[in-house]
Amino acid sequence: MRVRLFVTCLIDIFQPETAKAAVRILERRGAQVSVPEAQTCCGQFAYNAGYRDEATALARHFVEAFAKDEADAPIVALSGSCAAMVKEIYPELVGDDPRFPALHDAVSDLSEWLLENPGPAAAGGEQIPVAFHTGCHMRRLLGLSDEPKDVLRAAGAEPRTLRDADQCCGFGGTYSMSEPEVSTAMAEAKLQRFQEAQLEGAAALVGSDWGCLLHMAGRLSRTGRDAPVLHLADVVDLADTGPLTAGRLREAGTFGRRGER
Amino acid sequence: MREAWPIRRYRALQDGELRRTLARVLPRMAEGRVRAYEDDPEAEVRRVRARDRRREAVRNPGLVERAMAAIEARGGRAAQVRDGEEAAAYLIEIARRRGATRVVKSKSMVTEELELNQRLAAAGIEVRETDLGEYIIQLAGERPSHILAPAIHRNRSQVKDVFVDAATGFGVEAPASDDLDVLTAFARRQLRADFLSADIGVTGGNFLVAETGTLILITNEGNADMVTTLPEVHVALVGMEKVVESFEDLTDLLPVPAMNGVGRRLSSYTTMISGPRQPGQLEGPEEFHVLFVDNGRSQIRGTPFEEVLTCVRCGACYNVCPVFRQVGGHAYGSVYGGPIGSALTPLLSSLRYAHDLPESLCTLCHACVEACPMDIDLPHHFVALREQAVREGLKPKGVSLTYRTWSHWWESPRGYRRSIRLARLAQRLYERRGRLQGGPGLLGGWTRTRDMPPVARETFGEWWERQEERRHG
Repeated sequence: MRVRLFVTCLIDIFQPETAKAAVRILERRGAQVSVPEAQTCCGQFAYNAGYRDEATALARHFVEAFAKDEADAPIVALSGSCAAMVKEIYPELVGDDPRFPALHDAVSDLSEWLLENPGPAAAGGEQIPVAFHTGCHMRRLLGLSDEPKDVLRAAGAEPRTLRDADQCCGFGGTYSMSEPEVSTAMAEAKLQRFQEAQLEGAAALVGSDWGCLLHMAGRLSRTGRDAPVLHLADVVDLADTGPLTAGRLREAGTFGRRGER
Repeated sequence: MREAWPIRRYRALQDGELRRTLARVLPRMAEGRVRAYEDDPEAEVRRVRARDRRREAVRNPGLVERAMAAIEARGGRAAQVRDGEEAAAYLIEIARRRGATRVVKSKSMVTEELELNQRLAAAGIEVRETDLGEYIIQLAGERPSHILAPAIHRNRSQVKDVFVDAATGFGVEAPASDDLDVLTAFARRQLRADFLSADIGVTGGNFLVAETGTLILITNEGNADMVTTLPEVHVALVGMEKVVESFEDLTDLLPVPAMNGVGRRLSSYTTMISGPRQPGQLEGPEEFHVLFVDNGRSQIRGTPFEEVLTCVRCGACYNVCPVFRQVGGHAYGSVYGGPIGSALTPLLSSLRYAHDLPESLCTLCHACVEACPMDIDLPHHFVALREQAVREGLKPKGVSLTYRTWSHWWESPRGYRRSIRLARLAQRLYERRGRLQGGPGLLGGWTRTRDMPPVARETFGEWWERQEERRHG
């Protein structure tokens, strides 16, 4: 089965290891992965800030980049918010493009694809508790909240929902940069909940949206709190290659981990 | 003149007590709503019907005239007022005619919006707020910080401080503790005298039924019943969008505010008033006036923002908003705060006046639309207002240049890759121990409080290309 990878810009530029992990887990489940090389960014940063013309241009480019070939192969996105941009916002920006409907239907979040294509069963043994952060767009725009947790369970983790899980972590795309004070106050509120989860045994903070994770990991790092923060793809990749343990999560989940350094 | 957002933001964020109070109270209200729907399987059906009735009502421009005719037919007086000045002039005229000098009020956001208290005070009329929360903030000289719970920013001990100060001013005994019963007993004792000596009672209105001219007041403390029965004159100020067509509409509408605001099936008091005291009746005011307030509402009608007029002021969006939970209501610098306020304020006034609200107080998390019983798509409206701000040139030139250049580069893979190579060069200036520190523009905003990893030495795209070359030689 062919699968097209929608890498998303933050992962491409700042966290390539996560995309490599995604390729590995997709291949292990029998996918033939292709990466449309012209892809850049979905344009959400411009859309959210009110630069509609600019966002439309980026949306048109997305359609160009992905409509080139294999028009019906699934497009698996590595961040829920970017998938939501294509599925929920693109119709008003590029809905008139005849190539768009097929792309729209092809896009799904990684967790959805993994549920439909379960891999090698996780080695039995105890479930490792992890704190799970659901991205706002993933949950409210794509309607996915159980799916990523089911994937984690299948990988041998025990996802625990944070208290006040309905609250945004404060990332909000460029909101985190234009309003750092408010954004950071929100991150602190979220991290306080994570800290509680850690005290109750959570071994890592796991999410499906690299934007949220980068924000929280960045705050943890700045304030000298050391805790593993991992993308769902990283956790599944770990589970594929051995039993999930707190130690392996810790080793893999160092902030800013980059290949070939 | 509004205080600038950075000043409001600073004041809000350095107030740890405020954040702790909000973190304690708001989740309870938000969870109350969720539980109320879980407990009542019919509630969702009723909500959707209520929403549809409200949507029809705000689209129907004839309802206000019909309501006015119905009110007049039962011996009441009805008028339309354009703004705060006209509303105050109407009230001052009544006061002059009757020699009235004392007004008691029940909770009303529209009178806050019209700055009625200040206007009446300037004309020598004394106004007393009688809703407990409003009473507290009136004594403290503050604005409401939450649409439903105006004094939510103050905890018990802070309320006690306000009452102790007030007691000195009144020359009465101060409350002995910050016990809830002690505090309410103090307010009750003071307010009793105000009710009995008032000449005019002023209320808002949650709904007004066009076919019967009936004013609906939804309250929790019973103070509105005192305000509308003890003084000889009752004046209700009602936003022109609050009119609904028929009495039957109320079946679904009445539970909406309490259900969504605090998770209760119904408020403690639902008061229906259809006119002044009729011959043979023993209670009620001699005069009953309803003022239908425009104050910017008609400029929203017929625009893509029209649905914001269906808001029933339940406060559900305040309770779930993650930004509100950090900064509280005063940070909005406007009568209506929270998510709905971030749309209403610029729409009722102008975007130039309040574009900071849709821009700076929302992460587009969509919690508000999820909670809204009227399904008002606030995130969509915030984006539309941001787009309007771009069109009207309200954004700083540097910001627009950044977004435009950034987008333009990323419209092509060549530009995208070039930007990455440039970033790798530029970031050497800011890299310390494997993290970026400082930096220009947006990057500087991030690194002020959070670490940022540098651009990867090899992006995933570059790595993939290398793999492909290896594979295909």
